[in-house]
Amino acid sequence: MLNYSVKRLLLLVPVFLAVSVVIFMIIHLVPGDPIDNMIQIGSSPEQRAVLIARYGLDQPLLLQYAVWLRNLFTGDLGDAIILRRPVLELIAENLPHSLRLGGLAFIFSTAVGIATGALAAVFKDSWIDRGVMALILLGSTLPSFWLGLLMILLFAVQLEWFPVSGARTWTALVLPVLTIGLHGVALVSRVTRAAMLDVGRRDFVLMLHAKGLSHRRIQLQHVLRHALLPVVTILSLRIGWIVGGAVTIEFVFARPGLGSLLITSLAQRDYPVVQGCLLMLAMAVMLGTLLGDMVQAAMDPRVRDSLK
Amino acid sequence: MTSFTRSFRLVALAAASACSMAAFTPAWAQDATFVLNSREAGAPTYNPIKGTKLNIGNNLIFDRMVIQDADQSFHGQLAESWESSADGMSWTFKLRRGVKFHDGEPFNAKVIEWWIPKFKGTENAFMTEAIDKVVIVDDYTVRFQMKNPDPSMLLNMSTSFMGIPSPKSYDALGDKFGVTAAVGSGPFKLASFTVGQQTKLVRNDDYRWASDLSKNRGPAKIKNLTLREIPEDSTAFLELKTGGVDMLLGVPTDFLPRMEAEKSLKVVTMPGTEVFYMPMNTSVAPLTDIKVREAIAFAVNQKEILTSIFGGLGAEANNFLVSSLQESKIDPKFNIRFNPDRARKLLDEAGWAMGAGGIRTKAGVPLTVKLWTQNGTQFKRVTEVVQAQLKAVGVNAEITVQDPASINAMYKKQTDHQLAVRAYDYTNADILDWFFSGTRLGYPNVSMWNDPKAEELNAKAMKGSRTWEERVTNFKAYHEYVMSQFVFAPIYQPTQSFAYSQTRLKLPDTIRGIKMATQSIMDIEVK
Repeated sequence: MLNYSVKRLLLLVPVFLAVSVVIFMIIHLVPGDPIDNMIQIGSSPEQRAVLIARYGLDQPLLLQYAVWLRNLFTGDLGDAIILRRPVLELIAENLPHSLRLGGLAFIFSTAVGIATGALAAVFKDSWIDRGVMALILLGSTLPSFWLGLLMILLFAVQLEWFPVSGARTWTALVLPVLTIGLHGVALVSRVTRAAMLDVGRRDFVLMLHAKGLSHRRIQLQHVLRHALLPVVTILSLRIGWIVGGAVTIEFVFARPGLGSLLITSLAQRDYPVVQGCLLMLAMAVMLGTLLGDMVQAAMDPRVRDSLK
Repeated sequence: MTSFTRSFRLVALAAASACSMAAFTPAWAQDATFVLNSREAGAPTYNPIKGTKLNIGNNLIFDRMVIQDADQSFHGQLAESWESSADGMSWTFKLRRGVKFHDGEPFNAKVIEWWIPKFKGTENAFMTEAIDKVVIVDDYTVRFQMKNPDPSMLLNMSTSFMGIPSPKSYDALGDKFGVTAAVGSGPFKLASFTVGQQTKLVRNDDYRWASDLSKNRGPAKIKNLTLREIPEDSTAFLELKTGGVDMLLGVPTDFLPRMEAEKSLKVVTMPGTEVFYMPMNTSVAPLTDIKVREAIAFAVNQKEILTSIFGGLGAEANNFLVSSLQESKIDPKFNIRFNPDRARKLLDEAGWAMGAGGIRTKAGVPLTVKLWTQNGTQFKRVTEVVQAQLKAVGVNAEITVQDPASINAMYKKQTDHQLAVRAYDYTNADILDWFFSGTRLGYPNVSMWNDPKAEELNAKAMKGSRTWEERVTNFKAYHEYVMSQFVFAPIYQPTQSFAYSQTRLKLPDTIRGIKMATQSIMDIEVK
């Protein structure tokens, strides 16, 4: 297992370098630059040139990348051009908000998704199954932007249970968590149900039935356990999403977070911040995948053997 | 339970309620939360000297020398009076006495001597570049000796970038000024600031020097003021409706009917500071032909756009400048108003004959132009209506919607665009120089217009005026020439609107200034 973990970790190094190149090039190659967002009506083309030179944007792109990468390895993500603060400081300020929101939504969608998926599988083709599936279909097709506004209208405006927006109290977390979580519930529930139905057709389940165990006990104690492998895969892919998957929801609920920071900075072409945020998101996805692989390897020896 | 015990409990409960009411009501009653106008959202700093994007909070923390009223007149804030020499080569300001910064430091002539040179090398340097040096006449009088006359001096001094910080705090905080703390002499002190989220301000209880645009000369009536940023308009509206916030400093036109339907809310509209217009790329055929440009300009039906898209709120734009500016009052013959017959006649004269399918052709080539705009509901709607209006005279306009952050860079390619629906928000005639100067081709000069006579008139307006009156005359001449060359089509002037909770706030009868700002906030009471 240790051998497997080390190999997987080493594989991340070239991936990280490739990701850093893509991130840097994408943001620099799209039209627009931060200086357009800084200059004032009345400033001259010469003043614009001074600003471009001040932020090193007149240097060859490759040189700019090399400087960024060198600083990256010393833990320096640079200073924001528009926001004028160290990027690391901005990320540290926003990341906890994203982790809190994404983490709670992840826990909610995992718990409720597995429970409803298992329920639908146990009561396959019953009204419970059809009801759960209908709700899942609704949850996965409603745009989160619209769902968020509906939540606000119902729970904040009509019932006045929760605040409309902001991040000032813990109650302000409830509606955004539900909005994001419901989408996750749909996915986890569907995968859980499909995996349980698949496992339910295997020989060992037939054997358990032959032994006289109750259907519900077989489903919940044996089938569900074996069906969790694909669910873990799906969940591991969603770990990266915890960090930056709530962009729209942060927007609707006027919450701080890495997603909001990224979108604002992208609109202003604040290169260092965009690069820093994207790098964080990429690292979260890479680490999430690594974690998922390691959990899978721990659960299934065939996965461990795949890297031998 | 005995009746005595029951009565005792009731009295105790009532007393506790009364105490808690007494304890909480005053604090609550003096607190207010405003939502920033989306245009001001995302301001990264409260450093007026170095900041390139500032919000309303800046003018609440920092006082300026002068401020401007809606009629464009100037009123003293930290300056009590001022005068310019006849040749425009010096300005003398008498400063207000008894003013203290939030850190207790006094405001006097030495502060101005320290302040003006601080702009050198910053993004805002152009604001003070005409000032050669500051001479201290006495403790409360300063004289600016000029490198060249600058009739915009008072206008510059009234902008948010001219908020005066405390020298002691500014120098002590260095680059952190405006980010971790901001110290001015304004009616509010900065308590906390989270970029993109909110700014918390507390009243400056020593404030006694508001301008004469406020009835209340100080301190402010609101004790704690929170400025929130809510990017989604629907969320902001629901916050106001449910009492989560007390005022929206900007209301999109789409939301006005819904706001007006709410009895607890009041919507106030003021003359706008924005203009929608359509620049034409004069360097690309067929727009190199002035007759085609003129035809396109007269094909735009401003009234139809005003009524069908904006419900009649706002005004038609018939020239380039906001109608409150004196320089917008040009000879009426230069104004552009919808005239489809003239448009058709001009296109005929230019050799574009009506072809099959209602699109004009010349030598077998259809009259097709690229029409760009940027993402945003209003931009898209206006562009679609303009497209239909051009079609009505035989011009086929193909719309492309661009990302707002990319579109300026795409204009800089200079030849990719032909027509574009754009808007600007600015209340100074020097916007003409910004958008039409031959030194800024591509962007901001999207019209790609480089005309020797225009450059001459521009230079005269920008640098050759000694007094305000001269500047107005020179800019009028430049404006008229721009209009005569049909390098853009004027479209629409929006109003600016804000909405507030009538149950929570009492506003002054008249909102002074160009927009809802410090001078009116001084007079706002929380009920």
